[in-house]
Amino acid sequence: MNEGQTDNRAGVQTFARKIIELWALLGGLILLAVVLMSSASVTGNALMGTPFPGDFEIVQMGVAISVFCFLPYCQMTGANVTADIFTSGASPRTIALLGLLASIIAIGFSLLLLSRMWAGMYDYIKYEETTAILQVPHWWAFIPILISLVLLAVASFLTLVDSAQAVSANKTGSL
Amino acid sequence: MQDALMIGFAGLAVLIVLIAIRIPIAYAMILVAGVGVTILNGPAIFLSQLKTLAYGQFSIYDLSVVPMFVLMGNISTRAGLSKDLFRAANAWLGWMRGGVAMSAIAACAGFGAVCGSSLATASTMGQVALPELKRFKYSGSLATGTVAAGGVLGILIPPSVVLVIYAIIVEANIVTMFMAAFIPGIIAVILFLLTIAIYVRLWPEAGPPGDAVNLREFREATINVIPVLVIFGLVIGGIYFGYFNPTPAAAVGVFFVSLYGIVRGDIRWKDMRGALLDTAKTAGMIYLILLGAEMLKIFMSRGGVPQAVAEWMVSSGLAPMTILVLLLVALIILGCLMDSLSMILLAIPFFWPVLVELNGGDYVSAAQAGFGMGTEDLKIWFGILALIVVELGLITPPVGMNVFIISAQATDVPMSETFKGIIPFFLAEMVRITLLIAFPIIVLWMPRFLSG
Repeated sequence: MNEGQTDNRAGVQTFARKIIELWALLGGLILLAVVLMSSASVTGNALMGTPFPGDFEIVQMGVAISVFCFLPYCQMTGANVTADIFTSGASPRTIALLGLLASIIAIGFSLLLLSRMWAGMYDYIKYEETTAILQVPHWWAFIPILISLVLLAVASFLTLVDSAQAVSANKTGSL
Repeated sequence: MQDALMIGFAGLAVLIVLIAIRIPIAYAMILVAGVGVTILNGPAIFLSQLKTLAYGQFSIYDLSVVPMFVLMGNISTRAGLSKDLFRAANAWLGWMRGGVAMSAIAACAGFGAVCGSSLATASTMGQVALPELKRFKYSGSLATGTVAAGGVLGILIPPSVVLVIYAIIVEANIVTMFMAAFIPGIIAVILFLLTIAIYVRLWPEAGPPGDAVNLREFREATINVIPVLVIFGLVIGGIYFGYFNPTPAAAVGVFFVSLYGIVRGDIRWKDMRGALLDTAKTAGMIYLILLGAEMLKIFMSRGGVPQAVAEWMVSSGLAPMTILVLLLVALIILGCLMDSLSMILLAIPFFWPVLVELNGGDYVSAAQAGFGMGTEDLKIWFGILALIVVELGLITPPVGMNVFIISAQATDVPMSETFKGIIPFFLAEMVRITLLIAFPIIVLWMPRFLSG
């Protein structure tokens, strides 16, 4: 492949990584917002006996959304724990091959979950399910969640590329 | 039925193989559970569960405390709390023989009270305490061993993420579990301090006394640490005395720790960004494992595996106490292979039914029970014991994560020295476990006292 093509691919990857990191930060800001809301509610309750009605619904939905936003970043940075002890003596090439396998599983899982949760969102729309007190439709939460799952598939693809590069680097590098 | 059981056990075997070949534990669980349930019941049920299972699992209210405690810990590590805690502890304890190491333990305990993670506690306190320990010419093994062992206080003293997860698995009350962890946590601190005192009596050159501070430094250091104590009092005290639920308490904790860091000038946007991204990694990892564990639980109970294991254990004819000790030993061994959270999620769903059966079922009266206590008390007691033994994995070879972290910080001390330095603290932990097994009341008193 020629130079320009390589640069282009690297550019797309860098861009994807940036987006995934920003998405995780967005999830973090949602978590912070939930923290502030929850603190305000509990303070209001303590001082004036008036908590936010339905504050726990916001907590539930907000935390669920923020954690979904974290998943792609978690995959991209290799934060999902592994038991390394059995393979501590393995060669870098073997480790990279196993990383390849793990990435394939992650891609499969994220795409399966994406398609199922897409269907799940339509169920929530169809049956018009909302939270009990604030009457927030549940399917609203599914929009950022589905975007997160798309990014999770992208992140898994990025780790797949990383592992594949490590496999080929160690094939030639062992000489 | 027999077939289902075989498929269940085969699934467990595959799971172990997948984990052994470095497939992330969460994905290994998800894969085994998905394929297993599909074999047992066909694809339709699994596919329809996937529509809402993840959302349902991620929006469990009791779990929402986990990312908040993780965030609180990550902000705390950047907020300069550790420096203030160590300075105050040093003003109080530093003048004694071995005093600087004792201060490190006390500061770890204080930090553990705002942080629910062992690794974060070890690495944060390591940065503050190791240079001081070196300055006073503490032996490498005592210095690194102290900080690595002190790290476990991060998890033993509430808030503790592992304890929240345990409570959710066995359907215990989180508040009760936090109360139960308090006195055992204090005992850990006392035993660790005693360990250092004995250590420096035997090898006086290993831990010379630090500087005696003047009155002004003593007063300043003490006053500086008050905000930290107030935050801890608000969060944990508020939970204990029923002023608020764990989730709002954690939210208030995050708020005040951030405020403290911002006022002190230690937390700027760059630090907050780092704290959020670290939280993303940890919380994402935890939730994905939780999802995998939930799927695995569905698969295993369809296969009847936990019930079969429980029946088999009960019919083995071993005394309940013997089996309890065997289960704890199994946890220690598992702890040598994987991180504490994955282990709790994998093992407790199997271990807990065994204990309930041994005790005489769900509704047994304390007088007739195998362990001499009702199911609720057993939940609390076993939870604290399990919490302690899973943490031992962090300070023992081959994957003592705390030791790795401290070794990376103290480059002049070989890792073997650190493991040597851990031994006395490991023995102290053994003493503590023996105490708690012999006298369950140490664990049970506080919840009973506080809930009247």
